[in-house]
Amino acid sequence: MLTFNLTLSGSDLLLLLPEIFLTLWLCVVLCLDFSLKRITHQQLAYLSIGGLGITGLMLIGMDVTGITGALFKNMFVLDHLALFFKILVVLATALVVFMSIDYVRDFRFFKGEYYCMVVMSAIGMMFMASSNDLLSVFVTLEFSTFGFYVLVAYLRDDIRSSEAGLKFFILGVFAAGLLAYGISLVYGETGTMVFSEMAGNQGSYGLAIGFILIFAALGFKIGAVPFHSWIPDTYQGAPTPVTAFLSIAPKGAALAILIRMFYVALASFKPMWVVVFVLASIVSMTYGNVVAIAQKNIKRLLAYSGIAQIGNIMIGLAAGTKQGSDAIMFFLLTYLFANLGAFAVIIAVSQVIRSDEIEDYNGLNRRSPFLAAAMLLFLLSLAGVPPLAGFIGKLYLFVAAMEQELYTLLVVGLVNIVISMYYYLIVVKKMYINEPTDPSPIAASMPIKVAVYVGIAGTLVLGIYPGPFIDWAVDATLMFSNIVAPVAALSVLPGS
Amino acid sequence: MTEMVIPSGGTPWLTLVLVIPLLGVAGILLAQESLSRQVALGVSTLCFLVSLPLWFLFDNGNGGMQFVEKHQWIESPSIHYALGVDGISMPLVLLTTLLTPLCILVSWTAIEQRRKEFMISLLVMETATIGVFAALDFVLFYVFWETMLIPMYLLIGVWGGPNRVYAAVKFFLYTLAGSILLLVAILVLYFEGGRTFDILTLTQAHYSPNLQSLVFWAFFAAFAVKVPMFPFHTWLPDAHVEAPTAGSVILASVLLKLGTYGFLRFSLPMLPDASVAFGPIIMALSVIAIIYGAYMALAQADLKKLIAYSSVSHMGFVTLGLFALNAQGIEGAMLQMINHGITTGALFMCVGIIYERTHSRQIVDNGGLAKAMPQFATFFVIFSLSSVGLPGMNSFVGEFLVLVGAFEWSKLTATLASLGIILAAAYILYMVQRIVYGPAASAMLPKLFDLNPREFGMLLPLVFFVFWIGLYPNPLLDVMHGSVNRVLASQSEIVTVDRGQQTDKPTRLVADGAVNSQPLTGKVQ
Repeated sequence: MLTFNLTLSGSDLLLLLPEIFLTLWLCVVLCLDFSLKRITHQQLAYLSIGGLGITGLMLIGMDVTGITGALFKNMFVLDHLALFFKILVVLATALVVFMSIDYVRDFRFFKGEYYCMVVMSAIGMMFMASSNDLLSVFVTLEFSTFGFYVLVAYLRDDIRSSEAGLKFFILGVFAAGLLAYGISLVYGETGTMVFSEMAGNQGSYGLAIGFILIFAALGFKIGAVPFHSWIPDTYQGAPTPVTAFLSIAPKGAALAILIRMFYVALASFKPMWVVVFVLASIVSMTYGNVVAIAQKNIKRLLAYSGIAQIGNIMIGLAAGTKQGSDAIMFFLLTYLFANLGAFAVIIAVSQVIRSDEIEDYNGLNRRSPFLAAAMLLFLLSLAGVPPLAGFIGKLYLFVAAMEQELYTLLVVGLVNIVISMYYYLIVVKKMYINEPTDPSPIAASMPIKVAVYVGIAGTLVLGIYPGPFIDWAVDATLMFSNIVAPVAALSVLPGS
Repeated sequence: MTEMVIPSGGTPWLTLVLVIPLLGVAGILLAQESLSRQVALGVSTLCFLVSLPLWFLFDNGNGGMQFVEKHQWIESPSIHYALGVDGISMPLVLLTTLLTPLCILVSWTAIEQRRKEFMISLLVMETATIGVFAALDFVLFYVFWETMLIPMYLLIGVWGGPNRVYAAVKFFLYTLAGSILLLVAILVLYFEGGRTFDILTLTQAHYSPNLQSLVFWAFFAAFAVKVPMFPFHTWLPDAHVEAPTAGSVILASVLLKLGTYGFLRFSLPMLPDASVAFGPIIMALSVIAIIYGAYMALAQADLKKLIAYSSVSHMGFVTLGLFALNAQGIEGAMLQMINHGITTGALFMCVGIIYERTHSRQIVDNGGLAKAMPQFATFFVIFSLSSVGLPGMNSFVGEFLVLVGAFEWSKLTATLASLGIILAAAYILYMVQRIVYGPAASAMLPKLFDLNPREFGMLLPLVFFVFWIGLYPNPLLDVMHGSVNRVLASQSEIVTVDRGQQTDKPTRLVADGAVNSQPLTGKVQ
């Protein structure tokens, strides 16, 4: 039976300090918003960024000094893996807030609350990165998604945004149902909620179904085929900064859970789940890339390309080794900069031309050489062209797959690079080769430029000097160095 | 970490050569649009000057890598920033640094729109191509190899002719598909060759015949597309016709060499068994390319298309020489690579000069230029004769050596290949006759004026090389000897084992200095 008696000491609270601090900061921002009449939404945004910055520094400090531990009977674990993903989430959130400042100006209501919702989701995702048992997975997942339900439908006069919100909500709730059902099955079979205690359990059909249901719920979060159907419409309809947020932060947090769950709880069943990931990876990459070719809307294009990128990421999960998880984490970093950068450019362009159609990117090079060059870099990094970050990321994934002799996956992945290059090239062609219909220049505002510059810097630095960041990812997963023993694990399987 | 001694006083010449164009890019970004071409010209000239020590400080007696620089780039998997040149790559580096300033001169007035971006693309191309020739780490090599695609895509796509988008995308996807297979091959070699990306170590490793043939065809896909070999050549005429003059020059003079360089640097020494086993196929494709390219060139009415098909034919000679797998063949092929770079580059410049005046590349529109443009006509005739392979000019030496090498490999092949030379004489002379001496197209006459100093200045150095290599190729051959012998040494090892009983080839292969080449282990000094 699950009993719960809470004992907390001051030093325990230290582990929760970043989350506690950010929660208090969020409350302060919220109070300032309604109590000071003259405070502008820009000031609130910069306040939020300040809070995120301090949180980020705390996390980095904890990572450097090695403050780790577990709380609440292992429900909440703070290790280097969790810290990596928390820093990722905080960085993404700060960039998203920068990108939002222009966009929020055009909102008619609830400007200040917007930032609160963003930060609240971020807190949820930080908890996700630390969740170490099924109950906390459920709670944190729903907590972070709750903020997104509101954010996606934030443009309440816009029919597309409302539609996106509704679709996201219905499918999200459905996924939550699957998750709860899966959790109940797993608990019934193993009698425990904590990942590390499940390891070494005998396999059974109930357990398998339970984990498949949990995988489906998390697959919904990361947008892997066949759980991707909400992605294109939601991406297109949601306010663009929210789309950018959706495209990286929840995926990162959900991957933290996936890595923990499969590497720790299900380590002994590796030969079985590898097959699942190989299939999901192949289908996601191929489907995402092929369908992306036909897209006319840049947000939809990035939505499908995101599905394909998740396919790439799952190459690392399919490898199922420490090398695989290192590759995933480094790839997520490269994806963060390139993808957020691309969305920042999209926001800058759409602020002026009020359109997200790829057709309207004609001659962007003439209208804003800076934005066009930045977009070129981001798209090439997403495609994996050296010497940009994406190339190193993909190289690592492929090396990890090769190490596990997953040749089919490797070949499919490489073929997909060619396919993806084709549609990224379509955008490049529009920007550079086609002539603009309206040659008036497009100027980007300062906050957007900050986001774009950070994206460019990240894309170049991670590509040209990836060493320290790879080391960071490698160090974060040290705890997995011992779990890669698929051959020995075979004997634990039922009937073998 | 630097494990290896850097000769020549420790100056990292190769890094300098690589970085200077990039500094130029930064300079152009900061400079005004109107100054961009001056900055680009200055920077690329500087780059050429800095690359000269590679020639003058080069030690001909050492067939291994020189000017080696090696630093750790990524720890796990171990990837290095490793550079170095030997007798194979050094001349190609110089060819690149020589042609880039000339390309900027070619585009001086021809490029009126988005000049800044154009110059940036050219300079990035320069860094990337030099990087490909100088990289000693496979990942670094791949990085440069791929980086090249985007600037070239933009060169064709933005500043090209009316059908440029089609040509640019075709170029891009063809080469990308090839490169992806190259990446597979690199990863396979990494795992089979001792978990390293170091090109020299991988060259010394031995691979099973099965693996060799797989990797050979993966390499083939990447390199044959670049060369381009029949039947992968179809992107070339499109790309050449649509590209601006500078793009065509870079494409013909430097980019095509990357493919043959790849064969010579990787396929032959790393995969000796497969090179012997599949040699006949490559030789057959080369002969087809020589004759087919020449035959197609005969029928062209568009000057650029004509020269593009002649490129297919001339590059056929290069692959023919390479896979003859003997000293004459390989050295001839290398000379031919340089020659083709000079001659075809010059011919494309000439076409550019005509096009700037008459805005037509059709042969019928450009008849009888000798009267209106006597200086131009002189240059044009020189380069055309060089392309035919007239004795005393550069191509003669290269083609002659290739044919000697091919003759030793198989008499029939050499005979068929020499048909290509006859056809070359036919299409080139027919072109020269119409362009230079034919009846003048009266509509064009008012537009014609002779070379200005800039145009004169950019053609003159190439004339110098035409005659230098034609009359006294020894300095260039001396540079190549040592490194070619090394390639052959890796070949002869297996040839003596596998085919020694049936033929008398091995003795001949090892002859010509290969015997006294140093053991492979001492490669990097």
